[in-house]
Amino acid sequence: MIRARLRFDTKHATEFVDLTDRLRQEIRRAGLRTGRVYLQSLHTTLGLAVNENEPLLLRDFQDLLERIAPQGAGYHHDDFARRVAVPLDEPENGHAHCRQLLLTSASTLLVEDGDLVLGRWQSIFAVELDGPRHREVAVQLDGDFVRPSREASEALVELELGRQLLVDPEPVAAPMRRLVEAGGKRLRPKLVQLTSAIGPRSEPLRAAALAAAVELLHNATLIHDDYVDESTHRRGRPTVAAAEGPERAIAVGDYYFAKATRMIAEIGNRDVTSAIAEALEAVCASQIDDVALRGAYPGDRDSYLRVVRGKTASLFAAACASGALLSGATPEVVAALRRYGELLGTAFQMVDDMVDFSPSSGKPVGLDIRQRVLSLPLIYAAEDREVGPEVRELLAGTLGDREVGRVTELVTSSDALARVRSEANALVEEAVRELEAIELDGLRPVLVGLARSAVDRNA
Amino acid sequence: MPVEVPERELVRLEGLWSDGLSDAYRAYQEDVGRFDADAQPKLALAAALIEIGIRLQGLGGRAAPPTVLLVGDLCLARGSRLLADNASLEVQVAFAEAIQAMSSAAAAESSVPSTRQLLQRALAR
Repeated sequence: MIRARLRFDTKHATEFVDLTDRLRQEIRRAGLRTGRVYLQSLHTTLGLAVNENEPLLLRDFQDLLERIAPQGAGYHHDDFARRVAVPLDEPENGHAHCRQLLLTSASTLLVEDGDLVLGRWQSIFAVELDGPRHREVAVQLDGDFVRPSREASEALVELELGRQLLVDPEPVAAPMRRLVEAGGKRLRPKLVQLTSAIGPRSEPLRAAALAAAVELLHNATLIHDDYVDESTHRRGRPTVAAAEGPERAIAVGDYYFAKATRMIAEIGNRDVTSAIAEALEAVCASQIDDVALRGAYPGDRDSYLRVVRGKTASLFAAACASGALLSGATPEVVAALRRYGELLGTAFQMVDDMVDFSPSSGKPVGLDIRQRVLSLPLIYAAEDREVGPEVRELLAGTLGDREVGRVTELVTSSDALARVRSEANALVEEAVRELEAIELDGLRPVLVGLARSAVDRNA
Repeated sequence: MPVEVPERELVRLEGLWSDGLSDAYRAYQEDVGRFDADAQPKLALAAALIEIGIRLQGLGGRAAPPTVLLVGDLCLARGSRLLADNASLEVQVAFAEAIQAMSSAAAAESSVPSTRQLLQRALAR
């Protein structure tokens, strides 16, 4: 269901305002293919009618209305002395109310093949009976909407991101723009957009706003992370902390944390707001655990999974759930998509850990080791009977280039990477199984493909 | 600790209660009288967490060390979640605007407005 308002100013006391073209525009803009348009006048002296737009005929209608309910014919409504609480600007318009009784205040129109179903001579009018005035007609469109192509949806998110960054003060916008323009996989906004097309209330523009906000939120957390991890580069460019100092990085992160939460709140769906807020809290709590665990580096699998579920998977899960919630999907569908997102997010992070050992990734090999970032391949290598003792010994000492290089060699020579790959693939298949029991309106192949491609990468 | 503050809302942040959070909480209690009784302690705590979080981060001053920044981030996130669950859209937006005003001033290296005044104004929205 899509809502709209048609607003217009009338110029005459009685006037037939042809709304047909504007309604056709609304239908095209919403992508309604088959369904209904509901119209409702929001005034007691504005009626609706479907008839022929022929000027002399409209004159006949006007004459008819004037004959049936002439102006100033002694209407009780115009006897202000007998009425209570009469506003100062109340006009004598009993005739207009009586004329409205002959029309209708609400109307339903059919839509087929993306256009109004109208006879050759039919037009839709708002009938002004007490003008000139500013008027509003409420419109709701319901039925089957064309789903925008994935390319169009993704372009919408990029436009929304660009638009949001355009209006922000330059000291915060410029660093964020550099980060956003440097790329990134945009997986979280893609998940929002895909899942927002599942329920009965698919609204591409609101979905794009939510997707852009989630991406900004993710980037805000990255800016603070890079300061915490002392990272010098992200997406091939200097981090905000490295380029402009930690003070600026903290301010930029805070600004976009607040901006994104505001954008999400303004979407006006409390369940969506809560889903994202809960995820963000989980991200922040897990960041603390992540740093704390570096004292027992490389840690163990259970601690790793606990951190990854909070730090990465929670926002994937919230992206999926919030899109579905926005579209009005059932609680069962929302829950299944949330689980899909959590499993996918965990698998995604595991593969991200593997990228640290890939020379073709475009990132310096061994960066995670150097920064003592929690990493599953390293945990498995440290547990390995053959290479484990040397890995643990190296990790316990100072990590210079030589040590990092040797740890990388040991990890790649063990079966740690194969174990992580196998585990990530198993999680993705589990995520795919979550989709089997729910109705996804044709989106299952896309979600399955996205999950598999998220782990089938080396960058 | 006042009984009306749910314990779970202070998990991981217990140490802050005696380090300014309780004072900030008490100060904001005076600003939440117009809200539902159930929401009042949660909104006062949300404002207090955001104030303390911003202080811990060192926003507008010297950057906090990484581990302290993360605690500040958690304060902001928890405050934001409390607002999402308990505040009207207008109040949520007003809080976000307050944080945007402080962070954009900090990024521009101009004087950062008083956190408490901005958040009190947000609660009055």
